[in-house]
Amino acid sequence: MSTAPVTALVADDEPLLRESLILALKRAWPELEVVAQARNGREALELFEEHQPQIVFMDVHMPGLNGIEAAKGIARRAQLVFVTAFEQYALAAFDEGAIDYLVKPVEERRLVDTVQRLQQRLEGGTLPSGEALDAVLAQLSGHLSLQHQQQRSEPWLQWIKASVGAALKLIPVDQLIYLRSDEKYTLVVWPEGEALIRTPIRELADQLDPQIFAQVHRSVIVNLREVSHITRGANETADIHLRGRSEVLPVSRAYLHLFRQM
Amino acid sequence: MDSPSPASAATSPAFAHPSGRAGFLASLTPSRLVFTLALAFVGAALLNPIFITSFPVLLGRTLFVGVLSLVTFSAAGQWPRRLPGWMPRWVVQVLVVALTLPLATFLVYLLAVDGDVPALLRHEGRLSGLIWIAGTGLLVGPLLALAALYRERDAQARSQALHFELEKSQLERQALDARLRLMQAQVEPHFLFNTLANVRTLVETGSPQAGPVLGSLIAYLRGAMPRLKEQAASLGDELTLVRAYLELMHMRMPDRLQFVVAVPTELEGLRFPTMALLTLVENAVRHGVDPSEEGGRIEVGAQRDARTGLVSLWVQDSGVGMSETAGVGTGLQNLRERMGLFFGPEARLELSETPPHGLRAELKFTPP
Repeated sequence: MSTAPVTALVADDEPLLRESLILALKRAWPELEVVAQARNGREALELFEEHQPQIVFMDVHMPGLNGIEAAKGIARRAQLVFVTAFEQYALAAFDEGAIDYLVKPVEERRLVDTVQRLQQRLEGGTLPSGEALDAVLAQLSGHLSLQHQQQRSEPWLQWIKASVGAALKLIPVDQLIYLRSDEKYTLVVWPEGEALIRTPIRELADQLDPQIFAQVHRSVIVNLREVSHITRGANETADIHLRGRSEVLPVSRAYLHLFRQM
Repeated sequence: MDSPSPASAATSPAFAHPSGRAGFLASLTPSRLVFTLALAFVGAALLNPIFITSFPVLLGRTLFVGVLSLVTFSAAGQWPRRLPGWMPRWVVQVLVVALTLPLATFLVYLLAVDGDVPALLRHEGRLSGLIWIAGTGLLVGPLLALAALYRERDAQARSQALHFELEKSQLERQALDARLRLMQAQVEPHFLFNTLANVRTLVETGSPQAGPVLGSLIAYLRGAMPRLKEQAASLGDELTLVRAYLELMHMRMPDRLQFVVAVPTELEGLRFPTMALLTLVENAVRHGVDPSEEGGRIEVGAQRDARTGLVSLWVQDSGVGMSETAGVGTGLQNLRERMGLFFGPEARLELSETPPHGLRAELKFTPP
């Protein structure tokens, strides 16, 4: 074939892995010319615009703009091959065959298959359909956000960010004694100190483990382990007394049922 | 097992009562003996006004009757070894006491008359004395026997409850340890494969880096593998693990990760929970440096307050800091619990943001 060489872009944040893929491509497809290497999604987009390669090998996990977001920017202007260390990204959408993926460390045999498919597609001038691309990208982002959720693992809020003096501290939630809000701020109290935060109490109420924390008033959330006793007041209200502290917290009528039958 | 009472038959061997001779001697506690002697004294004192006999003689008789009752009560607690199912041991013990009291009294008076039974029966004063002592004894003795049995049961129940409490806390501890070991054992597969992919490139290109990097990988794997024997290693071991991990990550992102580990050598011998510092360093890489295009620098340091002995150990990064989406990292709750178990409830994990961006995680504890 006397046509101009096929060009490619390799995007991966790990330099040795870029090098590894380029070495393997040299063996599997000596005619391929890797015209640019990108270290993140942003660079991948910039270099794509600059070089207009026919193929993009795109790492999914990259800092800043990730591979999925960069791929959206490239869309149907090139043949896309996703590269990932996560076997579980081998998604159903890839089975359609319109878009390829490689799992790191890249196996040469698998790469040879991919190269063959790419050559066929380039010869036929076929690009993945918009639907196929969308399906792959949607599934990939779904997996990525799922993974983020799993990394969080704990369903309830674990730390509260608050400034204490000049420092911004993270206070472990299970050490909180109570939270009390006024019009603008929420006062957070723990054994070693207290701080004001901007997050309103109704937002915090949903994020705190109900086994430990109870909202007892429109403006008060209390750590139940810190409650010493409760005294009944007039007009269907009550007061909460805390262990080893002098503050008294109000319980309003709407929340009084929490302490019946206890 | 031939347990002496139904109560202990159901319990674990740890506090099954000693049986036979040992059990008999064990149930003759000093406090029971003293109580019996005191009661005999009180009995003698109360009966004294209506007796012609001198107080010492009367005291001798009540003491004899009291002690003999205690002995038979204790003996009935052990023998016979087996009782028919319809006859609880406590009934036997109370009955034995009720029988011993008149018999012992009779015996005492028999001694006074040199075994002459008709003489004893003829002597009206002695006969009435016999009836008084035996009567008083019968009134009090079985009740006391019941009270003693009740107390014994109570003490058993309490020691059992304590034992269960202990067992429960031990089980809880074991469960927690197991959970921790499990969490420690996690070498993430994609970390391993990614690293190996990097190492392969070094080998393929004949890079002189290949050897040292493999060395780091080996050190990391050795440190991160679950430990079968000891729970804790030294801070020095942990630092080896942390350095190996950081070397590997530096190989993977040479332009984005810089690090320095500077811990005073005299702290390296400190006993320290494995993977505790690594958790903080991993979080600094994963949630601080890796999400940033420019990367960042990680500093691991430590110092000990010479006066208070308080050790602080910190991991500081100049990464992206805390963001709403990334969270502050995984396993910190677990790490806090581990530090508490290891160094006591005073141990702290403090997180704070550092200007202009980045996170500082600091462990504070007082080594034992």
